[in-house]
Amino acid sequence: MFHSPQMVKKRVPEWLNSSLWSSSPSPSIDDDRVQRYTSNPTAAGLTTEISSSSASDSEPASTVHPPIPVAPPKSTREDKPPPEPQSTDSFPDHEDKSNNTTPSPEDISRQSQLLAELSRKVINLRELRRISSQGIPDGAGIRSTVWKLLLGYLPPDRGLWSSELAKKRSQYKHFKDELLMNPSEITRKMDNGTTSDHDELKCQSKGLLSRSEIPHGEHPLSLGKSSVWNQFFQDTEIIEQIDRDVKRTHPDMHFFSGDSQDAKSNQDALKDILVIFAKLNPGIRYVQGMNEILAPLFYVLKNDPNEEDAAFAEADTFFCFVELLSGFRDHFCQQLDNSVVGIRSTITRLSQLLKEHDEELWRHLEITTKVNPQFYAFRWITLLLTQEFNFADSLHIWDTLLSDPEGPQETLLRVCCAMLILIRRRLLAGDFTSNLKLLQSYPPTNISHLLYVANKLRAMRPTGYRGSFMYEDLTNLIILIALKLCLVLIARDPFENNSIPPCEQLKPTLTPLE
Amino acid sequence: MVLVLALGDLHIPHRAPDLPAKFKSMLVPGKIQHIICTGNLCIKEVHDYLKTLCPDLHITRGEYDEETKYPETKTLTIGQFKLGLCHGHQVIPWGDLDSLAMLQRQLDVDILVTGHTHQFTAYKHEGGVVINPGSASGAYSSITYDVNPSFVLMDIDGLRVVVYVYELIDGEVKVDKIDFKKTAAATHSAH
Repeated sequence: MFHSPQMVKKRVPEWLNSSLWSSSPSPSIDDDRVQRYTSNPTAAGLTTEISSSSASDSEPASTVHPPIPVAPPKSTREDKPPPEPQSTDSFPDHEDKSNNTTPSPEDISRQSQLLAELSRKVINLRELRRISSQGIPDGAGIRSTVWKLLLGYLPPDRGLWSSELAKKRSQYKHFKDELLMNPSEITRKMDNGTTSDHDELKCQSKGLLSRSEIPHGEHPLSLGKSSVWNQFFQDTEIIEQIDRDVKRTHPDMHFFSGDSQDAKSNQDALKDILVIFAKLNPGIRYVQGMNEILAPLFYVLKNDPNEEDAAFAEADTFFCFVELLSGFRDHFCQQLDNSVVGIRSTITRLSQLLKEHDEELWRHLEITTKVNPQFYAFRWITLLLTQEFNFADSLHIWDTLLSDPEGPQETLLRVCCAMLILIRRRLLAGDFTSNLKLLQSYPPTNISHLLYVANKLRAMRPTGYRGSFMYEDLTNLIILIALKLCLVLIARDPFENNSIPPCEQLKPTLTPLE
Repeated sequence: MVLVLALGDLHIPHRAPDLPAKFKSMLVPGKIQHIICTGNLCIKEVHDYLKTLCPDLHITRGEYDEETKYPETKTLTIGQFKLGLCHGHQVIPWGDLDSLAMLQRQLDVDILVTGHTHQFTAYKHEGGVVINPGSASGAYSSITYDVNPSFVLMDIDGLRVVVYVYELIDGEVKVDKIDFKKTAAATHSAH
């Protein structure tokens, strides 16, 4: 048997078929964004969408996806109960995120699960990942701790936390002292170490000032490679760029920009972290965009309700940032662009993923309209989707990204794929210009739905694909039928059961002539 | 940490064609925040060249400068220090510490930078410090032919100044430094 049991059904999965996919025709999803902060009718609207789609199932199937063979509607209904509770599960969650007023029962249960998990002496990271992959509720203020655990900054054993934190924080302080000193201070330190203080200046009221030799040829105009001053001036360029980018980070948020003292100190913290990272990593230094990845991390850790943790947010964020970036470093290195680990290859993987799951859309995008994925996916992937959605939404997406045990990249690609599939109707109808415009400013979406779809893609990966599997299956079926027919024809051997020898059969024709 | 370049008495093109090549290779734009020039550049091209090193340029008039609009003296404040600038041909006897101290008291500055003698000196007296950066191009002076090209770079950091002295001796750049601190009570109470 060359079909796996799941492929025998030969139908488009119901969840792909439902009208939830299209963003424009169903007003509830578009209005989502608008109504999010005002009321909560959206969840109700979306749930009715599901129930209505279940009633008129075959119609969306035939209108949206013409190539589908006439699939028996009955078989699709079986699939409905599993997705439905899951989708209703996510909407109240979304509702909670938008309104922050009435946490749903599922949300509360998830929150209590997380709290229970966090209060254990040794935290089960697998369990934590599983729960947080569905999203971390905003209300409990535990996101900071959960992210630190997911990124491996805090060890699972609660008892080790205080010692680990103290060690890391003092290490960061050491980095700051060492790396952020300007050359004047460095030379002063060198002086104080070697020579005694020139106290005679106080006694001497008149006369020539004594000249002293400079250590190691260290003077401000030095062009030597090892000169402190020279390195300082070379770093100045990078520091200026970091400064410019930090000032431009999230200009709409009071946390990051504005004239308040807090905003300035936050910006200084961001700048220090990025400068220290650039100095410790001469390979990639600073690349524009790192500030965008750093910003949500710092925001979450700084808003930790635990005051002590919030005070040390800068140190903690530095290490979390290093950890998060370790998986994506190669995307920022220009020399690696064309290599197996570089950004181009990751974009190709996204393209492959789209082809596996939705060949029609892939074909339309890349071949028909020639929208090179680099035009939109570059920013999606390198900046971890922070620029595509609003800040609160990107925090929720990051919950899911960080909770993936294989690392955020796989989930990231799935989410990107889901983003494309969710607007497939508009993409299929568009040409190069409109598609590019649409993808470069991605329309507002229901985030929990997006994550749900992305999760679904994970489940579907080993077995079913949409477009290609059906065509393949059809041809297989036809071949099978043809073969069977041939077998049947050949099997009806005239010499077998009838048992009339050929010469005997000819006889009746011969006799009348006699 | 403010870097201030002090130089002067270049006498280009009359007595010297240009700054020494080794000096020019060290003086690149972007490192220095202020330039103070004692005078006797003498032509506009030198002024433009100095402007490319740093946009904040202060010059006082030397007796051979072709630009007549430069002031005789200038004062400016950088960080915690007040700096005074004058070419020095007006102060007689040329290079005399007491007379320069008088000028310093007149201008009421912590550091007085003058030139004209084409010799590097750095004096201290109760009022403050007098620095002569010498001639940056090594041009001969009215007093002597034996002039080593020299200039001065000051690193002002809070209440402390580190003066780096760059001299071209026998074709090699030699750098020394002078350290001094301004005591908090250094400002005169009586005028």
